[in-house]
Amino acid sequence: MSYSQPLYFAVFLPLVALCYQLLPQRHRWKVLLAASYIFFYATSRQLILYLLFSTVSVHHLGLWLGTIHTERSAAVKAADRAERKTIKAEYQKQLRRVVVLGILLHLGILLVVKYSMFFAENLNALFHITHLPFTLPEHRFALPLGISFYTMQAVSYLVDVYRGTVQPDRNLPRLALWMAFFPQIMEGPICRYSDTADQLWACQSINYHNLTFGCQRFAWGMMKKIVVADQLNWPVKEIFKNYGDYNGAVIFFGMIAYTVQLYMDFSGSLDMVIGAGEIFGVKLPENFRQPFFSKTVSEFWTRWHITLGTWFKDYIFYPVSLSGGMKTLTSNARKKLGNHYGPMLASGVALLAVWSANGLWHGSAWNYICFGLYHFVLIFSGTLFEPTFKAICDKLHINRQSKPWHAWQIVRTVALVNIGELIFRAHGMAAALRMLKKMFTDFDPGVFARGEYLVEVSGKSLIVCLVTVLIVLGHSILRERGLSLREIVAAKPLPVRWLCYYLLILFIVMFGAYAGEYAPIDPIYAGF
Amino acid sequence: MEALYEILEELQPEVDFHTATNLIDGHLLPSLSIISLIAELEDEFDITIPAVEIVPANFNSADAIWALVQRLQEED
Repeated sequence: MSYSQPLYFAVFLPLVALCYQLLPQRHRWKVLLAASYIFFYATSRQLILYLLFSTVSVHHLGLWLGTIHTERSAAVKAADRAERKTIKAEYQKQLRRVVVLGILLHLGILLVVKYSMFFAENLNALFHITHLPFTLPEHRFALPLGISFYTMQAVSYLVDVYRGTVQPDRNLPRLALWMAFFPQIMEGPICRYSDTADQLWACQSINYHNLTFGCQRFAWGMMKKIVVADQLNWPVKEIFKNYGDYNGAVIFFGMIAYTVQLYMDFSGSLDMVIGAGEIFGVKLPENFRQPFFSKTVSEFWTRWHITLGTWFKDYIFYPVSLSGGMKTLTSNARKKLGNHYGPMLASGVALLAVWSANGLWHGSAWNYICFGLYHFVLIFSGTLFEPTFKAICDKLHINRQSKPWHAWQIVRTVALVNIGELIFRAHGMAAALRMLKKMFTDFDPGVFARGEYLVEVSGKSLIVCLVTVLIVLGHSILRERGLSLREIVAAKPLPVRWLCYYLLILFIVMFGAYAGEYAPIDPIYAGF
Repeated sequence: MEALYEILEELQPEVDFHTATNLIDGHLLPSLSIISLIAELEDEFDITIPAVEIVPANFNSADAIWALVQRLQEED
């Protein structure tokens, strides 16, 4: 059951909302929790045991950390000033042991379930090449729904309790609801405990504003998902699978189409997620902020899958770059290499850890790892050579604050992102390199004029996609200028307002890829 | 406070740190600059800044950074 299927938006979601609203406030959490577990069970059956184990263990470990914090406070209070430092250090060690245990436990489950097959295959290949007499069992585990998402949430909760920025939750159902809330478990956003746990538990009544705004956001996401993303699914699949049969110009089209598909699929699904949350009065964190207006690849990743980026920044980048050894390295390097290049070593190591993890998080295949490393190289070299770029621009009298320069930066970033997405989607790294080579060595746009390609895709479908992309682009421009289309429409007189809503629904009904030859297409990020 | 302004202006000369209040939220101080800034602050003010303190609220303005420095100095 995915978010764009009628079973979800026309049956499940309204039924949950109705039961929720009918019950007194103190019982509503039961509806949300039951709905979340039913949703999970409907998709993953007995694999729900993974979620149950993670929830119970996170709850227990959180309480354990909380007990150590309390004991530490009492011990520090009772001790004299001279002893306090030693006592703090001793308790810190205990806290660290528990949090490491928790992280290893949860990441260990994720590693075994998601990556053991990949590591076993690659190690066996290595043993074979080096004639070592070992063979690891290659077993593919079934993946529970959203394991990559709820594991990240579990780890963030444990680290936050360890750091003392979040109090451990004694209430198991509240923690369970925060981990499993059905609108977000499939594709995120990756929520922090402090973001949503209390909001979910508050169980506000559904009011007119939340209901209408939630439904609008949901419909907007549906439009992106089923009018554009699902419609582009077939040509993208075909071009990436049989790229050898196509001209470089068609592969170029496939690359752009995939980037559009991925954005519309993921951001559309997140609109549906956030819209569903809004109905229940829960403000989930935004995951996209007009990423295609970014001037650098680094900025792109602060606007695309925002909650994953901030997770990596808070739990990998800063802890690695500010660890004891790295700080010493930075201090020493700064003295010899100066302020710009000095911190680069520590930052480089931390950035490499982030992007290796980012690549692997998306899947257990080499092209995902290369996708991560590609971004590492782009972001690190961009920062490393910034003074050189600046000097060149100054010498060429290029005004880096001018509009044409910004436009060029946006075009350059979009091009680099598209190449990254091609690596991400290709059937292996070899295929990605061959596709890129074809784009540069065998590029003939005339194939489109001669009608030599994709005769199965109707021109009408492509025009509908293009029109929808332009609508989304217009909306993004408004957002970039700080304007909200929903607020503008909401301020209009009732007939105009409802005309807009009906037009949106009519547009989805008329042009959505949900009937006839189209099979329901699972959201792309649900597979990660 | 003047020492802090000097550090910040050396790191990002294009930013007006006397008025900016969105250094992190407005992406004026990227992550890599924060690493440099933290190393400078620790050297200059003899403090240790743990990862848990690297939150936008502590780095969005020169005043917020100064408050963080003073708090960590008191805690030490």
